[in-house]
Amino acid sequence: MCEKRPMLELKGVGKTFNRGSVNEKVALKDFDLTVEEGEFLTVIGGNGAGKSTFMNVVCGTYPVDEGKIFLGGHDVTRLPEYRRAKYLGRVFQDPMMGTSPDMEIQENLALAYRRGKVRSLMPGIRKAEKEFFRTQLARLGLGLEERMTVKAGLLSGGQRQSLTLLMATLKKPDLLLLDEHTAALDPKTAAKVLAFTEEIAAENKLTTVMVTHNMADAIRCGNRLIMMQEGRIIYDVSGEEKKSLTVEDLLERFRASAGELSDRMILS
Amino acid sequence: MKRIKSIALAACMLTAGAISAVGLSACSTADYTVGILQLVEHSALDAATEGFRDALQARMDAAGKTVKFDYQNAQNETAACSTIANKFARGYDLILANATPALQACANSTTSVPILGTSVTLYSSALGLKDFDDNDPAATTGINVSGTSDLAPLADQAQMILDLFPEAEKVGLLYCTAESNSDYQVAQVAEYLAEKGVASERYSFTDSNDISAVAMRAASESDVIYIPTDNTAASNSALIDGICRPAGVPVIAGEEGICSGCGVATLSISYYNLGVKTGGMAADILLDGKKVSEMPVQKITKEECSYLYNAEICEDLGITPPQGYKAIGE
Amino acid sequence: MGFLSALPGAIALGLIWGLMAIGVYITYKVLDFADLTVDGSICTGGAVCAVLVTAGVNVWVAMLAALLAGAAAGLLTGVFHTLMGIPAILSGILTQLILWSVNLKIMGQANLSVSARTYGVVISQLEAGWAILILFGFVSVIIGLLYWFFGTELGCGIRATGNNPNMSRAQGINVGLNKIIGLMISNALVALAGALLVQYQGFADINMGRGAIVIGLAAVIIGEALVNLICRNFAVRLAGVALGGIIYYIVYQLVIELGMDTDLLKMLSALVVAIFLAIPYWKKRYFSGFHRKKAAKEPPAPPPEGGETAAQEPPAAAPLQGGQSDV
Repeated sequence: MCEKRPMLELKGVGKTFNRGSVNEKVALKDFDLTVEEGEFLTVIGGNGAGKSTFMNVVCGTYPVDEGKIFLGGHDVTRLPEYRRAKYLGRVFQDPMMGTSPDMEIQENLALAYRRGKVRSLMPGIRKAEKEFFRTQLARLGLGLEERMTVKAGLLSGGQRQSLTLLMATLKKPDLLLLDEHTAALDPKTAAKVLAFTEEIAAENKLTTVMVTHNMADAIRCGNRLIMMQEGRIIYDVSGEEKKSLTVEDLLERFRASAGELSDRMILS
Repeated sequence: MKRIKSIALAACMLTAGAISAVGLSACSTADYTVGILQLVEHSALDAATEGFRDALQARMDAAGKTVKFDYQNAQNETAACSTIANKFARGYDLILANATPALQACANSTTSVPILGTSVTLYSSALGLKDFDDNDPAATTGINVSGTSDLAPLADQAQMILDLFPEAEKVGLLYCTAESNSDYQVAQVAEYLAEKGVASERYSFTDSNDISAVAMRAASESDVIYIPTDNTAASNSALIDGICRPAGVPVIAGEEGICSGCGVATLSISYYNLGVKTGGMAADILLDGKKVSEMPVQKITKEECSYLYNAEICEDLGITPPQGYKAIGE
Repeated sequence: MGFLSALPGAIALGLIWGLMAIGVYITYKVLDFADLTVDGSICTGGAVCAVLVTAGVNVWVAMLAALLAGAAAGLLTGVFHTLMGIPAILSGILTQLILWSVNLKIMGQANLSVSARTYGVVISQLEAGWAILILFGFVSVIIGLLYWFFGTELGCGIRATGNNPNMSRAQGINVGLNKIIGLMISNALVALAGALLVQYQGFADINMGRGAIVIGLAAVIIGEALVNLICRNFAVRLAGVALGGIIYYIVYQLVIELGMDTDLLKMLSALVVAIFLAIPYWKKRYFSGFHRKKAAKEPPAPPPEGGETAAQEPPAAAPLQGGQSDV
């Protein structure tokens, strides 16, 4: 095996909401995770397992209480969200969130193409770029390359998620973060978007973290899977072992840990 | 389509309202049309407008002529003054501009229609006339503007403070910095007091929200308070009274309206008489063909002012009304 | 007939307020920020210009200074909002209050004459026709500059900031900084309009900003309603806003010409604004109701051909064009 460098590292990360109040909720507890370059990691877990918090601390939406976060080898723990964007490509669960609805499709792409760069008084979109965007859009197979001046707000949810995915990867990110990005789509559209996700990740050898509710997707996609519960990783599987997983196996794991949990609760 | 309909609807509403309003203002065939632009509804300004109308109407009746007044109120929106002045600048025989911004807007709208100002304190600063001397009774503007000044007899008012309260050591000058002319009046009074060896201090507020705090400090630090002709103070005289009267500090006011609200006594000009004077000037222009640019800006003299006192406040504070003063409202 | 001769004056005033409304458009529409700073910054621009002109400074320099003063006012509101976390409307109100005092200090008095008869000003109601020409030039140049600016990388970032702050952050856009820049540009334009207004009406007055936001919003809304039907190009929309200002003042002049009770003017303008603000809301209600009914009639069909066409049509796509009604 050749030496691979870690693209995402979380070391001893802790995050508690409403600290000191009756609503105190420990979302992440002493959380350690290393994702290697080129790895495609899927994350599953029940509601309140800390998946969203994990994503949000990586993006910088929430500051962490303790621990360190490294992206592509850079310490980003104290960087605000917009400065971490340089290393990140993101697709959100809500199709509304990833694009600017009143701006044209090509303008959205141009915005994304300048991620991590200082935004100057040069033209917001150049002629040469338009051709590049056209070829990229053509890959989606949605005919958007013919509608580049249409406002993104007029697109359907699936079209928008595909566009957001393209925007997230237009400039190769150190890490692609997918936050249940097919959850709001109908099954057929979801499958399409997911297929495109895998294609684009494989082609660019993107380091990817995908949070999902769909266990079949989590097993089928990627080469590593983690299961979260109570702000910790309770199961981490990769390689051949992951390939042979079934949904039943995962459900069993869920039940086991849940049982363990309730036992603990009874005992304490 | 809906949007077009909505626009059309809104336009119709506006026009309908406008047309119904125009129905009320009957078409006139008067000999003269006079536009009146008043800045805001306010007892002093209203009195000046009323005096103007009464005086001009009387002269017109005497001469057997008719006059139509087009009264417009800018609702204290200085921006509205320009729009109204824009109307008056075309086809009107004379304009009465009541208050400083009204005069400024009118003077900047026409060089031909005669404009008379009233309730304006200083014509030099209102019109940006560098050569105009406000203290010269014969001064003319040289442009199509004349009128009357509401500059109070400030030296006499200052002397009044000394006469009524000879043992006062410190006079508080309470006024609003957002008023056009208060600063000038206060400066004049302070100067007069200083000449007589009496100390004074300015207590200024920038709008009605600051009044109580500023008035409280003024009341606690002064023996007597002087308030100039100041619209903001006038509108809030009850508030000032509620602070000064319990503190036992008498207030000398610049005009009758403030005095009736919170003052002990005043040497007040009458805005109605000011309007009457202006109306006379208008008649001179329209009927006698006098040239507005050659008419001096007129002021109220001390003799035309009246010494007034507020009976209720005087009694509360144990002040005996001086000889020669009339109680307000008698 | 009297009305026709009064038209040039109304158009000139409308152009000045149209310019001011373009400033409002930048915050209200582009940045999605209900900025009440403008009631103060229009007076700041006027005050700075009046003081400098009466002090003998060249009028163009005075206007430039007014522009910068307005930008400073916008900066203050932006700092309140982004660095101090104060809600947008409150930030604007706080700056407005600060500006009341600042404006008094700038002028040193409540009212200052900049009569065209004494000072070398650029425009005046005394020569409304000439004023229209100059103002038309001003508005055209500014629309051109804004069109260019909002097409640059920075300008696109500002548009995205107002449109979708989440997406903007994810694309590495400094949302706070962009809001500040947008507010500065907006208030700079408003202050420039104030400087022009002062010259046109011949005086600066501490009360001149009163109700400015309502006039600005009225112009924005009338302009948007008119131009959205024809064209959605940014420059055309800005021109529409200026046109909105002109229409507002022509109607205003008409109302005054007809001798309508001026006591009712404020209420009328506020009502017109309210009606135009309500249109997108009503439209949304009407349209979404229509969709629901239609959907209920049809059987729950499988996703239509092509998967991702009509099935996921987001409900919020339509109202985004018409303006949020959260003011």
